[in-house]
Amino acid sequence: MSSINQIPVINAKRGNPLSKVFDELVRFCRSRSLFILHYCTGCGAIELPPAMTSRFDMERLGIQPMVSPRQADILLITGYVSIKTLKRVILTYEQMGSPKYVIGICSCTVNGGMYWQSYATAKKLDEYMPVDLYIAGCMPRPEAVIAGLQQLMDRIHSGEANSWEDYFRNYDYYLGNQQKLFGDHWQTPTDIITEAKHYNLMGEGTLGEHTRLLEQHQKPLEALDMRLGHNLKEPTK
Amino acid sequence: MAPMELILELTLMPLVAFLVGMMMVLMMRRIAAKIQRRVGPPLLQPLYDIVKLHSKRTQISHGLIHDIGIIMAMGGYIAAETLLPVPGMNGIAEKGGIITLLYLMMIPSLGLALGVGQCANPNGSIGIARALTAMLAYDIPLVIVIFGVAYAAGTTNLVDIIAQQQAGGFAAWGAVEMPLLAIAGLIAMHASLGKQPFEIYIAPAEIATGPMVEMSGKYLGGLFVMQCFQLYTTSVLYVSLFLGGGSTWFDFLLKSFLVLAIPVSIAYLFPRYRTEDLLRLMWKWPVMLGLIGVAFVL
Repeated sequence: MSSINQIPVINAKRGNPLSKVFDELVRFCRSRSLFILHYCTGCGAIELPPAMTSRFDMERLGIQPMVSPRQADILLITGYVSIKTLKRVILTYEQMGSPKYVIGICSCTVNGGMYWQSYATAKKLDEYMPVDLYIAGCMPRPEAVIAGLQQLMDRIHSGEANSWEDYFRNYDYYLGNQQKLFGDHWQTPTDIITEAKHYNLMGEGTLGEHTRLLEQHQKPLEALDMRLGHNLKEPTK
Repeated sequence: MAPMELILELTLMPLVAFLVGMMMVLMMRRIAAKIQRRVGPPLLQPLYDIVKLHSKRTQISHGLIHDIGIIMAMGGYIAAETLLPVPGMNGIAEKGGIITLLYLMMIPSLGLALGVGQCANPNGSIGIARALTAMLAYDIPLVIVIFGVAYAAGTTNLVDIIAQQQAGGFAAWGAVEMPLLAIAGLIAMHASLGKQPFEIYIAPAEIATGPMVEMSGKYLGGLFVMQCFQLYTTSVLYVSLFLGGGSTWFDFLLKSFLVLAIPVSIAYLFPRYRTEDLLRLMWKWPVMLGLIGVAFVL
């Protein structure tokens, strides 16, 4: 089962009368248990520790910090995203398991904020990945962060927060914007198109001119070499 | 015993262990919150976490061994539950004995090592190397303690050990008769839970939760279920060895929650040791206490 194609996915028809109850339970549990991965790039990071610890205590809402993208549900980006940072943010986002949500904190993620004139900053985060919620402010107080998270919880419970599907359905748009910034040879280790095919998430915008460009130079993914320090002696290219 | 009755017990014992284990996870997180002057998670938070993790839409598998490793990690503990007597149910405890139980309690770490090995994540490899080192550290005092208790009772049958303690009343409890072994056992139990100050292999700030770093969705959900079993198994084993087991369910649950509250309350007050410090500490103090305790028993 080393390839993703071999893992069976069953798309059962929802004919069972209990399925609505089950879906409601799953949505409720999803909204009441949120693991956060905080990608703290700017000053907004200062507002998160008080929101997590004794003073405002996020854990009473079922929100707790996690340290690896695989485990997390929410990607919390707190501050400006420089072009170099954005590459890492996209890699992190693509490694998270769906359903996943992105929250942009501070005005820098909304429109660049005070870095509007900078040549090295990506201005709008939602051009590169679907953002569920913006918490504006410079910087927003912990109350505002928690109010925003509660709004997200309501949207998850009602089933509206499914913008992660948008990344699969409109991958061409997002990839085009990424290629505009990083150059035509941009490739991430996660194969989004195969994943979209596998999980039945293909949309009209999944394939397009930008994905064709990607396929032209795409290198097949290989397992990493596990030797320690092998690229210290012989520099690769 | 009728085969139907046995099958019922073998099904019920892991289920009970899972439910009690979830309450133990909740207690652990509530104690942490109270120590840090927070409100803490709501009553059903462990259940929400497990349901949410199992309902993730995309699963990231790193291969067959990765899948089997998680099943081994859970299955080792599920098998161990059937060897741990609870009030009214003995399962196969009389046939298994305490040595089989010790072996079964090692399987989860080995399963995790197999599963993490295929992830090819350096943090995971470091984490699992530390987890096995920690197992080496706490298993020596644990084996000394269990040898002492079994020698004093004259049997390795857990049901008999509990029955002897209950027949003699409070004065016959292991903790009263063999206080040195009980203290050494408590330290070994604390280390086997992997909580601070013995939390060398999770270490979120250093190696990004070690073995759990590549686990997502159902895989992490399986490890959350495993944690419930781990807390239950460790505390119930201690209660059976030293606190006379439980004659009623109330008695049993009260003892196991109280026993677990001791290491958990200590855990959230301390940072963690380095690996070599953990080894030095575990091979010095609990081993010394245990050996003196065994000398008294002999």
